[in-house]
Amino acid sequence: MIIELREFTRVEGNGKAEIVIENGEVKDVRLKIVEGPRFFELLTLGRHYYDVPDLEARICAICYLAHSVASVMGIERAFGVEVPGEIQLLRELGLIGELLESHALHLYLLVAPDVFRYPDAIRMATKHGELVKEGIALKAFGNRLRELIGGREIHGINVKPGGFGRYPTTEELERIERESEVLLRFAKRTVRLFASLEPYGERAGHFLATDGYLWGERLIAEGKEPFHYTERIEEHSLVYSFAKQSRYNGEPFLVGALARLLLKGEQLTPEAKRLFEEHREKLETGYVSYNNLAQAIELVYALERAGEIAKTLLDKGISSENVSVEPKEGEGIGYVEAPRGVLVHHYRIDSSGKIAYSNIITPTAMNHAMIEKSLLREAKVLYGNVDEMEMVQRLEETVRAFDPCISCSVHIVKL
Amino acid sequence: MMGKLKLGVFELTDCGGCALNVLFLYEKFFDLLEFYEIGEFHMASNLHEKDHYDVALVTGTVSTHRDLKVLREARNRSNYLIALGTCATHGNVQGSIEMPIREKLKAVYGDEGNPMRAIDSKPVVEHVAVDLAIPGCPYNKEELYQALMDMAKGIDPVRPDYPVCVECKLNEYECVLVKKGLPCLGPITLGGCNAICIKSGLGCIGCRGPLPGEVNPASEYEILKSKGYDDEYIVRKFKTFARWEP
Repeated sequence: MIIELREFTRVEGNGKAEIVIENGEVKDVRLKIVEGPRFFELLTLGRHYYDVPDLEARICAICYLAHSVASVMGIERAFGVEVPGEIQLLRELGLIGELLESHALHLYLLVAPDVFRYPDAIRMATKHGELVKEGIALKAFGNRLRELIGGREIHGINVKPGGFGRYPTTEELERIERESEVLLRFAKRTVRLFASLEPYGERAGHFLATDGYLWGERLIAEGKEPFHYTERIEEHSLVYSFAKQSRYNGEPFLVGALARLLLKGEQLTPEAKRLFEEHREKLETGYVSYNNLAQAIELVYALERAGEIAKTLLDKGISSENVSVEPKEGEGIGYVEAPRGVLVHHYRIDSSGKIAYSNIITPTAMNHAMIEKSLLREAKVLYGNVDEMEMVQRLEETVRAFDPCISCSVHIVKL
Repeated sequence: MMGKLKLGVFELTDCGGCALNVLFLYEKFFDLLEFYEIGEFHMASNLHEKDHYDVALVTGTVSTHRDLKVLREARNRSNYLIALGTCATHGNVQGSIEMPIREKLKAVYGDEGNPMRAIDSKPVVEHVAVDLAIPGCPYNKEELYQALMDMAKGIDPVRPDYPVCVECKLNEYECVLVKKGLPCLGPITLGGCNAICIKSGLGCIGCRGPLPGEVNPASEYEILKSKGYDDEYIVRKFKTFARWEP
């Protein structure tokens, strides 16, 4: 017998799950990504590098900047271009905006209704209006950072190889410094809320992240010895899903906020680090549902770091100078931490600046096997003990903890 | 006051941005809720009312049989259907890969074949009649807000009918095509975005599709050629968002 869950709600994109029951027991679970395939790597082949980051941004609305930045980094590494600290700080500021926008959307508008038992944040707002408003304020601030750095709230084209179309002004940076300070108390309150919840889902055995906090030269896992994705990650197609699955040394693994904290907690800003230490014991149990708590701690990190970056840039002054980029034959990989975890953009470019090979692996494709493992465990616990409605609701919550980004996941290819 | 209008949001294959952009209206979203009741919006709510809708917003391209089914239901159950965003109105970037679907699937998923049924990405407007098309990748959320408010008041929404250049000039931005030689599709692209990309000092990428009626892609083509861009580059640029035939 197969129990088919209807399409998930309050997640990005279209996906559902099937639970296979044999002899009255849960035997298997299949996560089915039914979002249509989007063939992004085919889109970039043969294109001039200059236009590629703008197109790759269209992979996803929630994390478009992570795609633009990973794309730009892959291209710059292929050409051997290095950008100065100012450009790096501004890129980081954009990624921080994305972390805020994405985590706030997830925690306040998609997960909080589960905590308070409402179908959505709109209905929840009647009783918990303050919480919804605080979430929207954080999200709006994150989006303003994305607009400032990326050129638009969604799918901006301002991030270019070698720099930016437009640089922020002093007034804009001053406002960021001020506002990030004001919003900090909202984020701290949310950490308390998510720390108070009982864990659910599976406990992840392997965690993966980039070696720097929001991007890196390589990836790290337990042991922290840096490696390239090609050395330890394998992808394969599934017969029931438009998303592929990745495995780390043959095993399911977790990427995202929880993985970042556990692997890179020492890189956090002061208050975020204090909160991480306070809740470390819980987080180290590895329950995937603590990804929510980890995201809340990252809201604190993002706000503190946005203030720090704005201050550094204001103290030094902005030169607004791009680095010149000359195409040459080469190969490069951009590793970025999208809000949901490691994102890889890998290109080979020919001497005329056209893309000859392209490979993208998104966080949700990396988490795919772990989501299934988690669903399987939860289904085994619930089947026969609660009614089907309750089971479906709880399974959806398990999927939601991964904050899956289904649109991102449906175009994985090596060419 | 009359009862609220019933609104449904339906997502086909896309990046999620057009549905998300509705939430990005922030406090204005709550203003809309004075006039609209949301019956279905899977990104934001787990309600599934399967009801009749006064207004349906449909985002994304039709890329699977599931999409087609969702679209037909949305059309059958609604009075006024808005194709929202360039995926829905023109097919957008994912519709621009000129390869038969079977080859595309093989390239991506390998030789074992993927038994899931996918179809060539096409915009919503090629499958059903729509009452209003709001392009943009993403669309300008103010334009959607205005359209929904107009409808709530019984007014037919106004459609922009001028190129991006008009808004560029009104903002007094420097012409990036003439002054910097950047590839800018502003002269032939439908305005309504407030020339947002030119604000960053970069060229319009044409995400809102061609200006209906009088538009002169041939002349744009010549300008880009005179700036040193080769034929292949220009043709690709034209085709990326809206399948322009130069």
